[in-house]
Amino acid sequence: MLELKNINAGYDFLQVLWDVSFHVDEGEMVALIGPNGAGKSTTLRTIAGLIDPKSGDVLFHGKVINDEPAHMISRMGISYVSEKLNLFTGMSVQENLLLGAYAIREKEVQLETLAYIFELFPRLEERKDQLAGTMSGGERKMLAIARGMMSKPQLMLVDEPSLGLQPSLTSNVFSALKQLRERGVTVLIVEQNVNATLSFTDRAYVLEQGKIVLEGPSKEIKANKHVRNAYLGI
Amino acid sequence: MAKYLGARPLLSRIKDNLPIIIISVFAIFLFVAIYIKGGNAQIFNTIITGGLWALLAVGLALVFGVMNIPHFAHGESFMIGAYVAYFTFTPMQEYLYEKPNEFLSMIAPLGAILTAGIAGAILGILIEKMIFSPLRRRTKKDWIMNAFLLTVGLSFVLSNGANLVLGPNFRGISRYWDVDAVEIGGAYMSVDRLVAFAISMVTIGALWFFLRRTRVGRAIRAVSQDETGAQLVGINLNFIQTLTFSLATAMASISGASLLFLFQAYPTVGGTPLYYAWYVVMMAGLGNVVGAIIGGFIVAMLQTATQLFVAVSWTTVLPTVVMILVLLIAPSGIFGSEVKGVQEQ
Repeated sequence: MLELKNINAGYDFLQVLWDVSFHVDEGEMVALIGPNGAGKSTTLRTIAGLIDPKSGDVLFHGKVINDEPAHMISRMGISYVSEKLNLFTGMSVQENLLLGAYAIREKEVQLETLAYIFELFPRLEERKDQLAGTMSGGERKMLAIARGMMSKPQLMLVDEPSLGLQPSLTSNVFSALKQLRERGVTVLIVEQNVNATLSFTDRAYVLEQGKIVLEGPSKEIKANKHVRNAYLGI
Repeated sequence: MAKYLGARPLLSRIKDNLPIIIISVFAIFLFVAIYIKGGNAQIFNTIITGGLWALLAVGLALVFGVMNIPHFAHGESFMIGAYVAYFTFTPMQEYLYEKPNEFLSMIAPLGAILTAGIAGAILGILIEKMIFSPLRRRTKKDWIMNAFLLTVGLSFVLSNGANLVLGPNFRGISRYWDVDAVEIGGAYMSVDRLVAFAISMVTIGALWFFLRRTRVGRAIRAVSQDETGAQLVGINLNFIQTLTFSLATAMASISGASLLFLFQAYPTVGGTPLYYAWYVVMMAGLGNVVGAIIGGFIVAMLQTATQLFVAVSWTTVLPTVVMILVLLIAPSGIFGSEVKGVQEQ
């Protein structure tokens, strides 16, 4: 479904990603793990079209999407839930969600998806008239994920969903992601919480200093000696 | 205990909203003073001028909030609107002089103003596509400064261009509607003024509805709050930015056209409206559309009060003084919590 071929990318004169190649297949849940500054977020930003790669190709359903602007990539069915969330803080929860379905013009489909989202996150329905900027960190994260789902994406890129959340909320967010997967949405997730992430993803890639150093099924990655030492502290 | 807990937030709430409270008290005071000294006539005058400043300031606030452009060529959109209205209205007027037709002479001014609005919208698209869009593609560094300098340059080019092509002559009309003034509460108002006010209110109302209730309007607000977030949900930034600029230019053109009887059309006519619109947005908070509407009326009240109680020649001085005072107390304006639209890289 998604394939990165020898991507080199970065910001101005700073190159972050070196020859990164990986793929995500339909219906899979794939984790991208690695230390701070390894280039995990840069990878997602490159896929989402917020950064243009210096060389290499990003393919979605076999089509090169490097040169597409971010809004076109979103309309193709790739939804990126960024680390900063990028919510519209001065608007209500409901308006944020409806904007998530901006590319869907049919009003009924929008409202149908909204009803589904409210079923999935009852908390958001309770707060639908509240301004997004006045919500707590966990609720904002929920909202960002929910907004990402409003466009009915085929692939979701989720950046650090557990960052800055208390453990009970973290498990809420993770269970929301699991539900996504049951619904058949393909997910590429970047996480710091390596142990939890590896327990519910299918495959994982380890990114260090801008290079993929390890790849394989999550179970094997979890058993890997290097990963156990460096990330799991066992 | 409970009473104490209840009292604290109230106090801090008063403290947080101090600028708004001061300015509201001040506005009510001004309103009463104008009424006592000038009666209904001056109150209507103030409201009509306020509607004009509000319409201009809303355009500025929109352009700043969505595109981060401190727009100093807004007055030239006003000027172009005045010219377009003049050149469409006078031939119609001549035609109607030869062949009088009551219905057409009622409609003709509205046609001229609408034409000016459409011309303004097209001009806005051209300016955005030819000037700001290339700049945005080249670099986002120092965007606000660069955009500001571009608008100042644009203002020179447009007003001197008008001077070159059309000459420095004043082109004006005495009135749009050849009918008697209307009496409202003992004060006589010309139909032109009333219609100008109605047009500004209808335009602001339509814009308000568009921003609040439609899909594209919501997207405009989304871009002003988070550009990256807007892109991520599939909003085309270029389209929204061009649309916003076009809307703002059209609004300035409409006010230039509807006030042709008051301001005339000449190359530098945009100066005064531009500066008043800037007083309004600086006082109200940059990028705040609602603030711009309220601010428009406050500035108009200040003007009328100055004319009534001090002297006509001080009209620009007092609003400036008040603006400086407001910025000393609340640096981001009365209604601006923080300058949200600005993204420095």
